[in-house]
Amino acid sequence: MTDVFVAAALALLLTMTAGLARVVFGPTPADRMMGVQLLGTTGIAVLLLLGLGFAVPALADVALIFALLAAVSVTALTRRRVGQDRS
Amino acid sequence: MQTLLQALSLFLIGAGVFFFAVGTLGLIRLPDLFSRLHALTKADNLGLGLVIAGLLPWVADPWTALKLVLIWVLVMVSGATGSHLIAKRALRGDGEDLLE
Amino acid sequence: MSAGLLLIFDLVLVVTLIGLAIAALVSPDVRRAVMLFIAFGLWLALVWARLRAPDVALAEAAIGAGLGGALMLAAARRAARQEAVDGQTDARGEEG
Repeated sequence: MTDVFVAAALALLLTMTAGLARVVFGPTPADRMMGVQLLGTTGIAVLLLLGLGFAVPALADVALIFALLAAVSVTALTRRRVGQDRS
Repeated sequence: MQTLLQALSLFLIGAGVFFFAVGTLGLIRLPDLFSRLHALTKADNLGLGLVIAGLLPWVADPWTALKLVLIWVLVMVSGATGSHLIAKRALRGDGEDLLE
Repeated sequence: MSAGLLLIFDLVLVVTLIGLAIAALVSPDVRRAVMLFIAFGLWLALVWARLRAPDVALAEAAIGAGLGGALMLAAARRAARQEAVDGQTDARGEEG
């Protein structure tokens, strides 16, 4: 099964690389943020697969931090509008 | 039994990878922001859920399995909230976001 | 474990990491650079995870990408607003 996990992680890594195109060329900041969000979610899947493939259970904690990070960065981006409205 | 479990896990992980691939394709190919958002949330929720479901039989103890499920729930909550924030910002925005 | 798969994995990781770093450095738009930096941090955390260093990956994801990215987004926003205010006061010719 270990090979299956690593192979699935590799496939997900390739989709992440493709999704980076939206972050690099995305026309608007919201598009880039969506690209980062997809990157984070796919990264969680890759980390969990690697954690089982390499037998490093602590990688699940890193995946937890990734899940937190997506929320924080989206909030940091969208907070912008409210701040400008207020001032 | 073991073979059946392996086949099921293989199928679930494969389906999860498929959903991630389709979501990424949608994020790259779809024409405007809202349809891209739609593609993104599909990949977020379903793809990660399927991959985690495929991983569940192989984790060591029930607590780790609970942690994995918790990660999925957290991603669903934060993904839904983030999508709402992005869509609301794009809808309310004075065009700065859509024209830039 | 098949070494070929891991070799491809490492190659994809390293090439994309360097590409992301270059893209973030040469980006003229500040917000674009910050988002590329966040993506770079995520990717670097994946590299640490691949090297079986989960604690370093944890620190990189939490501080490098999460906290640093959020702070830099806020800083970019303030800088843009300050620039807009300065431009207005310059046009009107008053101190602001």
